[in-house]
Amino acid sequence: MTELSTPPRRTHPLSPFAKAGQGLSGLVIAVFFFARDIPGGFFARLALVALLLIGAGLLGWVSWWRTTFWFDDDGDLRVASGLFYRNERRLQLSRLQSVEITRPLVARLVGLAEVRPEVAGGENAKIALAYLSEAEASSLRAELLARAAGVRVGHVDAPEPQERPLIRVPAGDLALSMALNHWVIIGTVLGAGFLLTSLLTGHIGGFLAFVFASGLPSLSIVNGYLAYYDFTVAESADGLRLRAGLLSTSSQTVPPGRVQAVRISQPLLWRWKGWVRVQLNVAGSGGHEGNDRSNGTRGSVMLLPVGPVEVAYGLLARVLPGVDIPGVTLVPAPRAARRRSPFQYSQLAAGSDAALFVARGGWLTRGLDVVPHARTQSVRVTQGPWQRLLGLATTHVDSTPGPVTPAARQRSGADARRLAESQAVLAGAARAASRPERWAARPEGTS
Amino acid sequence: MTPDPSVDPFAPPPGGWVRVSPRLAFVRRAIGLAVVLPIGLLVAAVLAVNDLAAIAAAVDAVTVLAAGWLFWVVGRQVRAIGYCERADDLVVTRGVMFRELVIVPYGRMQLVDVRGGPLARRYGMSTLQLHTAAATTDAAIPGLPVAEAGRLRDRLAALGEARTAGL
Repeated sequence: MTELSTPPRRTHPLSPFAKAGQGLSGLVIAVFFFARDIPGGFFARLALVALLLIGAGLLGWVSWWRTTFWFDDDGDLRVASGLFYRNERRLQLSRLQSVEITRPLVARLVGLAEVRPEVAGGENAKIALAYLSEAEASSLRAELLARAAGVRVGHVDAPEPQERPLIRVPAGDLALSMALNHWVIIGTVLGAGFLLTSLLTGHIGGFLAFVFASGLPSLSIVNGYLAYYDFTVAESADGLRLRAGLLSTSSQTVPPGRVQAVRISQPLLWRWKGWVRVQLNVAGSGGHEGNDRSNGTRGSVMLLPVGPVEVAYGLLARVLPGVDIPGVTLVPAPRAARRRSPFQYSQLAAGSDAALFVARGGWLTRGLDVVPHARTQSVRVTQGPWQRLLGLATTHVDSTPGPVTPAARQRSGADARRLAESQAVLAGAARAASRPERWAARPEGTS
Repeated sequence: MTPDPSVDPFAPPPGGWVRVSPRLAFVRRAIGLAVVLPIGLLVAAVLAVNDLAAIAAAVDAVTVLAAGWLFWVVGRQVRAIGYCERADDLVVTRGVMFRELVIVPYGRMQLVDVRGGPLARRYGMSTLQLHTAAATTDAAIPGLPVAEAGRLRDRLAALGEARTAGL
């Protein structure tokens, strides 16, 4: 049996400087502009800045020195940190959901990267190793994924598995898709109206409204473009690799079998292009408190920011192997649902087959939510007063936190309950047949 | 337009609902009234002192109405709470205006909590809270007798242990 533990390591010595780089400019500006009362003028302020820099640098350096990480005897990752109060955290690798590597702009310029292993339900146990050299980061990721899969590598480096590129989103399509957002169009039209009134009446208020109505949506275009620029999906032995970003880049690996639910959606203006977006619920992924550079909010992974329907289904075949999403028979909502949800009535439908629950809905943005039965957490039936009057109810299939919240909306009452009961039975049956957590481990007794 | 009585999505499972302790209604009413009455009466008193007797009387009336409404609603809500242990899952129901029925398979339970505020404990009740990997599961059973809550927790934990299958 190989040795599982490794000696403690430190992050890259440049880490404190790369981390400080982000807050530093703010500090310098603050001192120069807000500390006018300091006697002695310019040079006193300069001295103060230098003093603060030295202090901050020293603190940063000591806290860097005090932070170490290693693999313990059980093969789990441990991180010890803390200046005065020592704090040791343990990341249980059997619960590893995905590993993300991000490169914020400053770190990227000096060739550093941050590694974020994601565990299920670990809200208070977020671990981010910042920063490692890029080579070290990718070898650590490979090691984490290999250990999580049950490959006993000991302290030798796990080889980075070969990658096979699957798709790349063209920059032109991405830019157009971000602009083809109905809220952006509405905002621009509104903004143009405000601007016109402002020019005609000479009021500043109209101009401010223009800035809000047109500026904020445009900002979302730019943000989306920067975040998803050069989005690529590649397949490797340890899972799907998702890479994106223009200034700050991120690279995320989702191991097989960790996808909890899928949402395929299509905003209004994408219909004529035939484009869709694909998002995933992955337990414990994304959504770090503080600055959220990672891929969306908590539990959310963008699998495809924009692409043709066929490409989306091609990718989904790798994420959920052996399932047939378009093949699931969907039962439309009853006529009474028109009175409760007139706008999305024509889209409302739901159904399930041996492996999946599928629900369709939405008005401006249409969506298809998919949950494998083996990933269903619980089932709920809800009914509000207006629904009760119409004899309707909604069946929710609960998934882990994320962008996908699957529900068969506005079913007839009896149907909603029947659906819920059958979902609970299917979920139980599918769970019994699901695969083990350490999917690459050899059977017991052979290690 | 009128719902068919046979089409009730919240029909009890075979064996029926186990209802929670009626003392829960007492505790919730006590807490609710302890908030509503003093605030209403204080506002009315301040108004009366400032020679606004008419408005003070109106506030008094509203306070009494709110207290009565609260008294009635809490009773209905507590009577609507029920649960049922089935072979493979636990079913919990609640709500009068907005009704809800949750089915939690035993194998999906990650954590079972028993908690209780000081007043609930004083009257021998606990709340059982189920957690799955989904934040939306939202299955809590308030107003369980302490012994029953403990029994249910141990049973659910044992069943969950036996059937857990990853996430």
